[in-house]
Amino acid sequence: MAGLTRTAGAFAVTPHKISVCVLLQIYAPSAQMSLPFPFSSVSQHNRLGLYLLSLTKACDDMYEMKLEELINQLRELGDDVDAWLTENLTNQFSSLSSPDDLLNFFTDMRGILGSLDSGAVQDDRIVLDHNSNLGMFVRRCILAFNLLSFEMDMEIYVMDKATKEMELHRNASGSVSFHLHTPEALFKVTEGIPYYSPIYAQEEFLRISGLLVSRKEKSSTSKFAEATSVASASSSKVEDTRVDESLFLRTNLQIQGFLMEKADAIEAHGNSFFSSSIESFLEQLQNLAPELHRVHFLRYLNKLHSDDYFAALDNLLRYFDYSAGTEGFDLVPPSTGCSMHGRYEIGLLCLGMMHFRFGHPNLALEVLTEAVRVSQQLSNDTCLAYTLAAMSNLLSEMGIASTTSVLGASYSPVTSTASSLSVQQRVYILLKESLRRADTLKLKRLVASNHLAMAKFELMHVQRPLLSFGPKASMRHKTCPISVCKEIRLSAHLISDFSSESSKMTIDGSLSSVWLKDLQKPWSQPVYSRESSSRNNSTFFKFCDHLVSIPGSVSQIIGASYLIRATSWELYGSAPMARMNTLVYATLFGDSSSSSDAELAYLKLIQHLALYKGYKDAFAALKIAEEKFLTVSKSKILLLKLQLLHEHALHRGNLKLAQRICNELGGLASTTMGVDMELKVEASLREARTLLAAKQYSQAANTAHSLFCTCHKFNLQIEKASVLLLLAEIHKMAGNAVMGLPYALASISFCQSFNLDLLKASATLTLAELWRGLGSNHSKRALDLLHGAFPMILGHGGLELRARAYIFEANCYLSDPSFSVSTDSDTVLDSLRQASDELQALEYHELTAEALYLMAMVYDKLGRPEEREEAAALFKKHITALEIPQDVEPNMA
Amino acid sequence: MVSKESCRNEIRAAIRQLSDRCLYSAAKWAGEQLVGIEQDSSNFTPSNTRFQRGSSSIRRRFSTNESISTPQPSVGFSQPPATPLPQEDEVIDGDLYLLAKSYFDCREYRRASHVLRDQMSKKSVFLRCYALYLAGEKRKEEEMVGLEGPLGKSDAINRELVSLERELSALKRTGAIDSFGLYLYGVVLKEKGNESLARASLVESVNSYPWNWSAWSELQSLCTSIEILNSLNLNNHWMKEFFLGSAYQELRMHSESLAKYEYLQGIFSFSNYIQAQTAKAQYSLREFDQVEIMFEDLLRNDPYRVEDMDLYSNVLYAKEACAALSYLAHKVFLTDKYRPESCCIVGNYYSLKGQHEKAVMYFRRALKLNKKYLSAWTLMGHEYVEMKNTSAAIDAYRRAVDVNPCDYRAWYGLGQAYEMMGMPFYALHYFRKSIFFLPNDSRLWIAMAKCYQSEQLHMLEEAIKCYKRAVNCGDTEGIALNQLAKLHQKLGRNEEAAFYFEKDLERMDAEGLEGPNMFEALVFLATHLKTNKKFDEAEVYCTRLLDYSGPEKEKAKSLLRGIRMAQTGFPSMDMEHFPL
Repeated sequence: MAGLTRTAGAFAVTPHKISVCVLLQIYAPSAQMSLPFPFSSVSQHNRLGLYLLSLTKACDDMYEMKLEELINQLRELGDDVDAWLTENLTNQFSSLSSPDDLLNFFTDMRGILGSLDSGAVQDDRIVLDHNSNLGMFVRRCILAFNLLSFEMDMEIYVMDKATKEMELHRNASGSVSFHLHTPEALFKVTEGIPYYSPIYAQEEFLRISGLLVSRKEKSSTSKFAEATSVASASSSKVEDTRVDESLFLRTNLQIQGFLMEKADAIEAHGNSFFSSSIESFLEQLQNLAPELHRVHFLRYLNKLHSDDYFAALDNLLRYFDYSAGTEGFDLVPPSTGCSMHGRYEIGLLCLGMMHFRFGHPNLALEVLTEAVRVSQQLSNDTCLAYTLAAMSNLLSEMGIASTTSVLGASYSPVTSTASSLSVQQRVYILLKESLRRADTLKLKRLVASNHLAMAKFELMHVQRPLLSFGPKASMRHKTCPISVCKEIRLSAHLISDFSSESSKMTIDGSLSSVWLKDLQKPWSQPVYSRESSSRNNSTFFKFCDHLVSIPGSVSQIIGASYLIRATSWELYGSAPMARMNTLVYATLFGDSSSSSDAELAYLKLIQHLALYKGYKDAFAALKIAEEKFLTVSKSKILLLKLQLLHEHALHRGNLKLAQRICNELGGLASTTMGVDMELKVEASLREARTLLAAKQYSQAANTAHSLFCTCHKFNLQIEKASVLLLLAEIHKMAGNAVMGLPYALASISFCQSFNLDLLKASATLTLAELWRGLGSNHSKRALDLLHGAFPMILGHGGLELRARAYIFEANCYLSDPSFSVSTDSDTVLDSLRQASDELQALEYHELTAEALYLMAMVYDKLGRPEEREEAAALFKKHITALEIPQDVEPNMA
Repeated sequence: MVSKESCRNEIRAAIRQLSDRCLYSAAKWAGEQLVGIEQDSSNFTPSNTRFQRGSSSIRRRFSTNESISTPQPSVGFSQPPATPLPQEDEVIDGDLYLLAKSYFDCREYRRASHVLRDQMSKKSVFLRCYALYLAGEKRKEEEMVGLEGPLGKSDAINRELVSLERELSALKRTGAIDSFGLYLYGVVLKEKGNESLARASLVESVNSYPWNWSAWSELQSLCTSIEILNSLNLNNHWMKEFFLGSAYQELRMHSESLAKYEYLQGIFSFSNYIQAQTAKAQYSLREFDQVEIMFEDLLRNDPYRVEDMDLYSNVLYAKEACAALSYLAHKVFLTDKYRPESCCIVGNYYSLKGQHEKAVMYFRRALKLNKKYLSAWTLMGHEYVEMKNTSAAIDAYRRAVDVNPCDYRAWYGLGQAYEMMGMPFYALHYFRKSIFFLPNDSRLWIAMAKCYQSEQLHMLEEAIKCYKRAVNCGDTEGIALNQLAKLHQKLGRNEEAAFYFEKDLERMDAEGLEGPNMFEALVFLATHLKTNKKFDEAEVYCTRLLDYSGPEKEKAKSLLRGIRMAQTGFPSMDMEHFPL
């Protein structure tokens, strides 16, 4: 079975490696003084060294650089030595005129290595340390060469010959990779040949000529980077890889790395176009290498991301049937001899997650339970840790109302008493268990993501003792922001494990291809090759930047931690912090993230815009996001659009439209119980608000009430707070302040226990409004309440909330008999002016009209008729706009 | 009914034409059918009778229809106008053609096609293309052997396909193609993956020249569903009946297939092919005794036959006829040891002997000879299960399923393997798959029910549903009724439990079985009836129990005592008035 084991044959001598060796020889000639000949400065010399370092690191990659690319890169490297380097490289190749020369060449290579025993290194000589990266590379090359038999020696020579010839005809023939010219027989050189297909003259030429066209096109548009990076347009990529896979040999390690990279790509581009192109590519790969079972897994992933349930299931099962879960999984292998049984528990884990994604929570739970059982049975702790994490994720995401019927009857994974616990408690236990196991097994990524899950849990759930006995059991019923922060920080520790690259870290194929990508990023941009003045420094720093490379999965987790930070700040009510964290995510992790995470970031930013800048900006941003994400399956962008439109319609008073959007929103949710809870809650919350706006108070109250029951049933605590607030709001609007008060108070206490500061401020405002609704004699108390909440509202509140607060304040003052308009007019007018400005951005006609009305009244009292008339005219405009809602919706298109 | 004589004449001419075109396996098949036609008594020769001797008596034993020689033609089937035999375009083959054919016969395909490069007659064109195709196939095979790496074969393809397709399609457009050319065109299209066009071309070919069995079998392999089969526009001809028989069999419509073969046996009463096909269908219907006799008969007539003998070995294996299997294995091995069938038979032999490693080795060899040999994959899976190497078993089964997704045995094997590993929920999917392809097999339903019943899942309601289906499918092993009763008992539904226990009891009585199940049923029924105050019936069961010794007898006695007590305890009963 083709696992990730590195064999001796995994490292083969290829023409590319010989070129690197030649360069190394130039870099560290065997008998030379401190600065070898062509280099004019130490920094220049070092630059070549850094470049060689990255080349050697990239040599485990799936793609091997073509000679032409190498020369191009060399050209960008040194300003005056590049010609010399290229010249020398070509000369060296030409001088290898017989197999014997090759032998001599490798014998010479030994010379550039320092001797093992000489502790004292002469200062004036450049010798490669045996254990340095470059030294290791040279040693590996020499070893690989020595392992070759006589005939192979010959063949390598022929291959070199071909390369050299190619080099000579380079200018005439354009960009031809040197692999293409090597005869078929040469490919047998490497031992442990993974796969290749023979080349027949005719077809080869067809293919090459086809390729040449595409290559030329690309280079002419200088989109070279796109062609090589995974994120490129898929058609060209498939073509590229086809050439690669059919013409050259890859080691297992390289293939696995390549496939891993593809898997990341599938996750990052969840759209249907990408999916079909990658599917055809995978089919091809499968034809070429039917025993490479990992391909089935990739097909599964691809189908999963394009929402094809049956094909996904089929491919998943096929993968595990064939490989027994032992091919290509980067989990730490279990110490005991589980190989006999295979690792089908991973299959169960994947199947469970698949069911989860397709919205079958009960099936998923059943499968995961089995996964837990099998992992325990085979003592595969790694899988167990992952499974527990998946389970807790499932339980926390899906609203499973009565888990006892599902879990309790058959099996409870952790303890036998678990069946008596509530869902949250179970989630907590599962998480803790998973974290503990992951910690002992040193599964760093899992530890990090478990910390994140823990942070989420802490964010959403109040701390309660698991088993409460006696009087001492009562603890504070609050969530703890500090522990949320702690968990997020703990998860971010992951990056420090990767930031200092240690030799212990396995350089898997994917990592090495990251190297190559990183190399090409700066190099492909013409900026660096043209701006000669700033070039040196910038290229140099680019090298340094990319010396540390972080695997995609790690940066994904770190990115997710920023998103959670943003979410937590959103809940805690700090708009700037939320925005900042989202921006950090979007700028730093945007390219390595999965499409759904990136989408979430956009979503948050757009929501922020809508709340704080008005709809115009938000819709403009939405348009950009739509282009990017609408093809992604299960896109949240549509949801966001509906939300924005609904909000907008409510503000403009277009209730029919609002109702229609509400219905659409409800239609998006799955009909299955307990699935898409977030969406369902959102839809009915908006329905209640629409009813409220239509002044159908009793219906609105009914809807809100049943929503509250749902939230209670599915343990949606934070949603409960906002539903309570809505109920208070409904009663306030219905003029029934006494009924509203308890709701507002309840909402406030919920907010307190979950540290939802902004929501609390908003609830306080409602409370104040309710007090005032009881009569003007309560104005004082209302004003006090408002002033208490003012810092929060003005500092972090959205446009609407702030305007409401301003208007309310003005109202309070104006109704206060002790307040004199003529002396203190500015206090009131400032607030009102601020409010009306902000509300105009929201197109909130009703409130704007109110503010303007008050303003007009104040001006009237002050005896300023012109301003009064102005305000009155504006007032009239808004009132007519409210009464005749424009059906034409410019942003609906 | 087609007359035997006309059939005979048609086939005779066809054999000549087919072997002239080097379509040897079709000619072979036709030849078998030719001698399969019962001879008229007027002009048979001693050699003919020798060949046909000795089989009819056995065949009569199993025939449901007494009049073998004149079976009823199937309803709605009228005799079609006989397709006229095409005239050869050249009566005498050209010299070059003769040379090419000799080269072809020496398997020098490229040389053969080269010789015919400028010949324009349809026959020459066909032979040239056919030789080219075979040359490509040969090359492909060589490549596949040479290029196998650790990750499997590279996609070796027949490199002649492109040019062949181009040429044949051009010929077809101009109408300069005969039915053989159409056959080859169909084959090429099929290889290229263009199934619907291939089907159309093959249909055209068999409609104009029905005697080419190779064309029919290619067509059959393209009929993967009954819908496709029904949509084919085929002329009526007796060859179509052969085709339908084989197609029905492949689509698991065994009784339909049997009906076709029974009809054909009216003409081709001594055809080994028909006999083997009938045996195959019967095997699928699990009539092992009958199949065994048919194969014995077949081997007597055709002792060096290797085809289909793997099926015979399966039957012998199922019947644990070790000696016969050993005899078969040795005989077949002497005939041709490098046939996949032979290897499979030897594998079966070793498996029956309990030497599973050796069995695996021979199945492997069979697979080396034919990678798509379905039953070898499945059987190898069984061996690995025996050897407790579950992951290897799963791998083997999965390969079988990928060769033919309709193979219910392999799906079932997969389910079993996962169940063995304690993953019943995962296994359920595979059982479901296997049941999808064979919904009327009680064993599959029982396997699924057991999965649901397992202590890990404990989904008893689902298990009950499955057992009910098993009972409806005619549970041969008698597990389902007992389990149903027990499950109902466990769930406290005593009425249902009593119902099923009674049924089970009836079944056991009918089959004359005894055993713990019977005691259990009797005890439960007696107790149940007693608690429901049906004392007379309870007494009947108790007295039955008294016939046996052991604890049941004591139990029965105490039950009877209880019944008496209860009866005497009731003052309203009539008995009370009579002092005992």
